Amino acid sequence: MVDPTANDVVRDAGREAERDRARGMLAELAALAPEDPRRGPLRDALVEVHLPLVEHLARRFRNRGEPLDDLVQVATIGLIKSVDRFDLERGVEFSTYATPTIVGEIKRHFRDRGWAVRVPRRLQELRLHLSTATAELSQQLGRAPTVHELAERLGRSEEEILEGLESANAYSTLSLDVPDQGEGDSPAVVDSLGSEDEALAGVEYRESLKPLLERLPPREKRILLLRFFGGMTQSQIATELGISQMHVSRLLARTLTKLRADLLVEE
Amino acid sequence: MSLTKGAVGEDFVEVRLPADGAYLSVLRTATAGLAARLDFTIDEIEDLRIAVDEACAMLLAQVVADTELHCRFTLAAPTLTVEVTAPTRYGKVPARDTFAWTVLTALAGEVTATVDSDQHLTITLRKTAEGAA
Repeated sequence: MVDPTANDVVRDAGREAERDRARGMLAELAALAPEDPRRGPLRDALVEVHLPLVEHLARRFRNRGEPLDDLVQVATIGLIKSVDRFDLERGVEFSTYATPTIVGEIKRHFRDRGWAVRVPRRLQELRLHLSTATAELSQQLGRAPTVHELAERLGRSEEEILEGLESANAYSTLSLDVPDQGEGDSPAVVDSLGSEDEALAGVEYRESLKPLLERLPPREKRILLLRFFGGMTQSQIATELGISQMHVSRLLARTLTKLRADLLVEE
Repeated sequence: MSLTKGAVGEDFVEVRLPADGAYLSVLRTATAGLAARLDFTIDEIEDLRIAVDEACAMLLAQVVADTELHCRFTLAAPTLTVEVTAPTRYGKVPARDTFAWTVLTALAGEVTATVDSDQHLTITLRKTAEGAA
């Protein structure tokens, strides 16, 4: 039997090194002038380093009626915002700072989306009232409302409000909600898979593609991930990277051609 | 599920359930209900719910098969403390250097993990309602 502790030591050492690298990049980014051309690639690299965190968080919201891909996409936007807003002076770890921002982005996505799941009509209506009341109260109070406040506003019991909130999360069924067997130790899964896998799930050549992806230049790899793993459109990627959509299109095409060619050679 | 009146404005709620992911939704619901009692905002409730989920996932990763997960909620307004305990195979405290841990601390506020001599791992989350205060 494998000693789990030994595995963990290796894993932690790896992650520590990764953190150090991220810290270094954040410091470097902070030191650059706003116009410095080196900002873009550095920002991309930072986003990429933290994609496993994004996936980890997105997974926490899966089975609520939204495709994981969409969740990863909105979570990635949260990550990008975090990279842009992070202030080294605060003295907190970047991941600690980024987590609430990413989660916030996912929550907003659920709020905006309404539902995708079959829910009894009574609850659907309640949910509709809830989201309106939540928006109004948030505006008035300058923070999210409490269950009590929502109950008062809607003239319902707190229990009904809770029920409504629960249904809003759209836990579809008990069995679907169970974490995959052996997935409880999520960090290990993240470590072993890497974020590329999600993007390439269903792609036949997954195993052989992986090493090829690792060899791509950071920007090409990022575009590929955002397009296929993040599900972003070319225009969205263009906006993210500050380049034209045509440019994204060309880079994507070139990267894919190269990948295909490499794949054939490897086979 | 049992509820006990504490001495000084503290209430305890205890839930024991099979150490199996299929029952976690019960804990999430209990967490939401109890946090609502303490006037947590709906955002804080959601954060805590994810944190409880995450903490249990950590426990289940090394839990002894066919045992129980023990969860104890302490309500002392404006703070809700959630302790989840289970017998584990390795008696290993979760590494603080993981995403899971980051998620926990970012969402729950105060987090501790301890292992006793019987390899029971306890993860404690303490979250204080701030929004409505």
